Amino acid sequence: MRQQRRVAVTSPQTRLALAGRRTGTPAAPPHLAPADAERARRIHHRQLRFALTVLGLLATLLLGLPLLLAGTPVLDTVRLAGIPVSWLAVAVLPYPLLVLLAHWQLRRAERTERGDREPGA
Amino acid sequence: VILSIVPVLLITLLIGARGVAAMRTTSDFLVASRRISPTVNAAAVSGEYLSAASFLGVAGLVVKDGVGALWYPVGFAAGYLAMLALVAAPMRRTGALTVPDFAEARLGSSALRKLSAAVVLVIGFLYLVPQFTAAGQVLAVVSGSPYWVGVVIAGAAVSITLALGGMRAATYVQAFQFVLKLALFIVPAIWLVLQVSPDTRRAALAPVEFTRFDSVTPVQFRLDTDLTIREPTPVAVDGQPQRELPPGEYEVDAGETWVFGAGAAVPEVGAGPLGGADWARPVLDAAGHPVLATWSVLVATVLGTMGLPHILIRFHTSPDGRGARRTAAITVALLSVFYLFPAIYGLLGAVLLPELYLSGATDTVVVALPARVDEGWAGTMFTALLTAGAFAAFLATSLGLLLAVSGALSHDLVPSTLRRLRFTPIVAALGVVLLALPSARIDVGVLVTSAFAVAASTFCPLLVLGIWWPRLTAHGAIVGMVTGLLASAGVIGVDLFLGSPPGLAAILLGQPALWSVPLAFATMVVVSLRGRPPAWASAAMLRLHLDETEPKQR
Repeated sequence: MRQQRRVAVTSPQTRLALAGRRTGTPAAPPHLAPADAERARRIHHRQLRFALTVLGLLATLLLGLPLLLAGTPVLDTVRLAGIPVSWLAVAVLPYPLLVLLAHWQLRRAERTERGDREPGA
Repeated sequence: VILSIVPVLLITLLIGARGVAAMRTTSDFLVASRRISPTVNAAAVSGEYLSAASFLGVAGLVVKDGVGALWYPVGFAAGYLAMLALVAAPMRRTGALTVPDFAEARLGSSALRKLSAAVVLVIGFLYLVPQFTAAGQVLAVVSGSPYWVGVVIAGAAVSITLALGGMRAATYVQAFQFVLKLALFIVPAIWLVLQVSPDTRRAALAPVEFTRFDSVTPVQFRLDTDLTIREPTPVAVDGQPQRELPPGEYEVDAGETWVFGAGAAVPEVGAGPLGGADWARPVLDAAGHPVLATWSVLVATVLGTMGLPHILIRFHTSPDGRGARRTAAITVALLSVFYLFPAIYGLLGAVLLPELYLSGATDTVVVALPARVDEGWAGTMFTALLTAGAFAAFLATSLGLLLAVSGALSHDLVPSTLRRLRFTPIVAALGVVLLALPSARIDVGVLVTSAFAVAASTFCPLLVLGIWWPRLTAHGAIVGMVTGLLASAGVIGVDLFLGSPPGLAAILLGQPALWSVPLAFATMVVVSLRGRPPAWASAAMLRLHLDETEPKQR
């Protein structure tokens, strides 16, 4: 096989960041076309609102569950298939909920980006 | 058993070499990097993330601290949900490989870049030392060598792998590592559950306090330990004939072996008794402040994940922001599968190997279990498999972290030539080995959580505010990060070196995330509001939220 010239392969963003680093000065100050800026502002607003919703749910789950377990020792004595319910609540229960939340967040975040690009969708 | 580590190394190197050989031309490389699906990339992220703390530490903490320790993995997995919602896609769009890069790209401040690099060092060392500690303890258990030999061997293995060119670059290698670790963790767990007697299974689910030795039990102390004996106890110390020890306080030196007679009372050590009522409560620090202690760990692990230097780099393999987001989402699912299993090792270990709790080697419970359950070839084989998995976990994380640390050292802190870059990882590895030698007593899981606490109090506010709040100024970011660093790393350092005070203060100092993260956020916001961001700051932030597929107008 013939030797080919070696080329550094990077994404445009990486190239931008690297260029700024190499010259020692930051790359040209970022700017956005007015239309893009307006669209970005809308997306930013919606994504932020939705991210906070998901994080709120996560906080409710992760802060609420220890509170619940600490407050109700009776759950230690209730058993499901021989395993204390309170153990299941920390060892198993959080994971499917996390996966569900992640799935939901992903779908909504992608739809926000897509929906904004196709007006009326 | 030591030999089981060799195949792990060989297969990993082989896949790495094949991966490189398959990519000859530039277009190959381009296509390959576009074809890496979010699933493969997510496996690579998980492979890098599952460290010795996950593989060994969680089960060890269950034996030592109780069922509440299972909150640690919940936080480890939930961290990727926070990452998905807040950081993954915008961070990819900055093109920044590391947090120092991000700091400069978003805020244009080289002072902030240097500060971020220093924080990378702190997090890196806090995360690396327990990896090496765990490797040392595991090698000590499977080969009977002293602790320091294991640490030095681990350091040598990492240095040699790095010198051979590192195997980090290939995404496929890390993805393979994840599958390997998953298999090496799940299969022995299932085998253990099937192999133990129904009585043991029942005992694991209904723990009773560990007060009497059921049979003649040798305990090899790995640390200097203070024992309190409450009643005359038959003990044979270091092979001498058995004698009856009168009640009192005893000091045991590391390395001594005490053989306790059957039916002897279990002496008390510093922490509370194993398997008691508090042990079985599914919260941390059940006797003291259970809610605060558990919350503190959760805040640190969930918010710290996004600031881990070796993980952020991994998201760069995604072709765009959308890919990075999908990667984070799939990572949540992959980790959720893995973290269902540490509980099995922890609960069985508490029943079958309670003496580990005396000897101070709880972090070795995972590799010690198979030999206890089956003394034949099957037990040996599964010990070998688990050792290989633990070593794979140690290797993957350590290599990633060492590269991140040496990158910060030689790139951001000291301007250097390539020559120096090549030696920095070795120097960094040496530093870690020297730090790991005196830290045998520290739990893997706890120290790793400290690293998360530092990341959560420094990088988490920087990234979250940098991505979502246009008014953040460089000055505000610097003051906030210094505050967060002092509040987390400083306080943890004081706690480690001066010993922890009793009660509530122990939680606030040992796991400061609960107050240090809000403090860092508040400082950053307040200082930023008093300043004025440059005119381009708003565009710099908004551009992170535009997806790349839209053709940009130039």
